Amino acid sequence: MRVWIRLARVGVALAAVALTWAADLAHACPSCASPLEENRQAFVDTTIFLTVVPLLMMGGFVWWLRRKIRDRDEPPEIAVPQNLLRDAGRFSKGP
Amino acid sequence: MPDDALGRPYGVPTRREPVVPNGVLGMLIFVATEVMFFSGLISAFVIGKSNALGGWPPPGQPRLPVEETALNTAALLASGVALYFANRAFKRDSPSTKRLLGLAIGLGGFFVLFQGAEWVALIGEGLTITSGQLGGYFYLLVGTHALHVVAGFIILLYTYRKLSHHDLDRFTFWPAQIFWYFVVGVWPILYWQVYL
Repeated sequence: MRVWIRLARVGVALAAVALTWAADLAHACPSCASPLEENRQAFVDTTIFLTVVPLLMMGGFVWWLRRKIRDRDEPPEIAVPQNLLRDAGRFSKGP
Repeated sequence: MPDDALGRPYGVPTRREPVVPNGVLGMLIFVATEVMFFSGLISAFVIGKSNALGGWPPPGQPRLPVEETALNTAALLASGVALYFANRAFKRDSPSTKRLLGLAIGLGGFFVLFQGAEWVALIGEGLTITSGQLGGYFYLLVGTHALHVVAGFIILLYTYRKLSHHDLDRFTFWPAQIFWYFVVGVWPILYWQVYL
């Protein structure tokens, strides 16, 4: 019984993939059927631009944040005398 | 009670300073939405321009003042540079901060006034928001940017006032700078797309 259920799921997945092949032209695309080559190219260019810009912004922000966190050399949260820090053996933060 | 090297009393928990101050994070998120907003407008303009059958700019429409606006562009870029140096002076606690911030504000004001004069001349030549595609796109894109310049100008005036009262801290100055750099940075792209 389980085998049949699995096969049915695979069949549904394959049918869904097959449907994507059937799609010829996206009707949401206002310039795909345009006779002007320049217009079609502008649509492709702006699509790439609008896809890349947010990814670059998010990537840039994460990179900047990671750099800031890495560069932050924080003192201990509770102030302790320097000699105690020095005497902390291998736990010492060093001179 | 003795203090540690940072002047803090021993044994008292200290408050961690955030990696990114709230004001800066808020402004960065706001500017990110603004970048997408302007990207959408520019994309619409690029597609509209490529769709024009009679070529671009459309025939029979007034020409945009390319050379005069180049001068205005230089003024806005110089304003950004002045603000950068004002921030450097602010970090050093130098008295030149006020002068440099004043220069940045002055150049921003010059940009707004110059653009206002340019609009008056263009309207006089018949280029209005309803006169055609060029007018519609021009006033939408350049007008939206002008609104941002005015907002940035007011923010910089506010920081200048705080600086004059010795009340300006980096948590106020930094977000104001981010907004102004955005306004300055987006303008050359608009100039290149709309005027050239």
